[in-house]
Amino acid sequence: MEMIAVNHLTRDYGGGKGVFQVSFSIAQGEVFGFLGPNGAGKTTTIRHLMGFLKPEGGSCSINGLDCWKNAPEIQKSLGYIPGEIAFFPEMTGLEYLNFLRSYRGLSDTTRMKELMERFELDARGKIRKMSKGMKQKIGIVAAFMHDPQVLILDEPTSGLDPLMQNRFTQLIQEEKERGKTIFMSSHIFEEVEKTCHRICMIKDGKIAALDDPQTLSALHSRSYTVTLPEEAAALSFARDFQGTVEPQNPRQVRLTARKTLEEIFLHYYGEEEK
Amino acid sequence: MNFPLYKKEMKGSWKLLVIFAGILAMYICVIVSMFDPELAQAMAQFEELMPQVMAAVGMTNPGDTLASFLSAYLYGMILLVFPMVYTIIRANGLVAKYVEQGSMAQLLSAPVKRQRIVLTQLAALFSGVVLLVAFCTALEYLSAQLMFPGKLDLSQLLSLNGGLLALHLFMAGFCFLCSCIFNESKYALGVSAGVLSVSYLLQMLANMGGRLENLKYATFFTLFNPNGLLEGSGSAWGGIGVLLALALLCSSLSILVFCKKDMPV
Repeated sequence: MEMIAVNHLTRDYGGGKGVFQVSFSIAQGEVFGFLGPNGAGKTTTIRHLMGFLKPEGGSCSINGLDCWKNAPEIQKSLGYIPGEIAFFPEMTGLEYLNFLRSYRGLSDTTRMKELMERFELDARGKIRKMSKGMKQKIGIVAAFMHDPQVLILDEPTSGLDPLMQNRFTQLIQEEKERGKTIFMSSHIFEEVEKTCHRICMIKDGKIAALDDPQTLSALHSRSYTVTLPEEAAALSFARDFQGTVEPQNPRQVRLTARKTLEEIFLHYYGEEEK
Repeated sequence: MNFPLYKKEMKGSWKLLVIFAGILAMYICVIVSMFDPELAQAMAQFEELMPQVMAAVGMTNPGDTLASFLSAYLYGMILLVFPMVYTIIRANGLVAKYVEQGSMAQLLSAPVKRQRIVLTQLAALFSGVVLLVAFCTALEYLSAQLMFPGKLDLSQLLSLNGGLLALHLFMAGFCFLCSCIFNESKYALGVSAGVLSVSYLLQMLANMGGRLENLKYATFFTLFNPNGLLEGSGSAWGGIGVLLALALLCSSLSILVFCKKDMPV
């Protein structure tokens, strides 16, 4: 079943900024990675999904409900981590989480406490004085504490140390196994590569590539055929460089250079700038 | 209305409310105590010395009842300007500041309708204004009863403060509208504070009389006429009716704007 659908979404901020004719759909239970350099339109797309912005053209929906018209209904089972975390700085972390809980009409605190333990979050201090990582942890707890079916995460691991990034990846894996639909923008390729079913790359507000990580890397792999003087040499060459011996011609070895996601990313975005 | 949000906002208001209540309490007690005939003479001397300045802030013809005395010395400036400043600060803090900071995203990413969010914020703003005016009313009455028992007619005081409340509700509605329209505090504050202080300035100039008196048609403060309210004049109450209607208009517009706008958070 289709959980998130974006159809020809367009919003022009002028000067080439914005999103243009962006379309994709995410199935229920799918983990969808959203990659792109700064200013490519990731957050703009997410703001439309959240119902903060009204589309200029096209539409987007979650669970069959229009993101702009039915935002409160959608929000019942949606968790969101904003890219720029801004809470109410005068509150303590705990006050904030408790406020958010009662604001949402949620009485159960078990999930909240469990998440706070998992991320070793001591939220007694004022938010104003917290580090980026601390705020990020609060954002994570706030997004997951009502056990939502759909998660929209805008660079969820920014500011976290590697240990906490790992715990977060574990959490995502668990949620994935529980059948949650997850939309995640990220800069960390490993995280996306390991967890996501499909990856979408966006550039200048347009989709540059969209496929599963294996296909993406296969698409950008290069194959070489090396011909060696003898069959024995070909065999050992193939063994040393993880190539395959051509069945028709045993003196020839096929080598495939697979690119990592990061290299593909740089292929789309980096090289043109040079 | 969302009660947890309302509670949070009232908690955010109370410090400011206490400060303004303190300032107002000081002025109210001082002015009430000056009803003493000897001190009143001192004020009359001020009026002779600087007739223009005293007229500008509405401190003329104090009359001989305590209510008209208060109407001259409190309702020309002190009870207008201080709650107005409170309103400007708070109205900005309830919407525009959240949008600018990005914390509005937290309020929007929950199953709460925009209409409910904006109504809650508006209710928090109006509650603060009502509390301030109610505090002034109670303090005026109490201090008058203590210092000059039986001299202050309660119904007259209530007429004055009923009108004052209408004026402040309109100003709150206007500031709130600015807060909903603009995404940055500097514009919300600039426009709301700008329009309100220019209106007050025009009122001061109009009070000075002469050719400047026609400026009274250019400021909404004219709609609040304390002396007219004390006399029970129909046109004075008509002005209050217009203020209330304008307050309602501004509030409805704010709700409309907030529900339709793009939130860059």
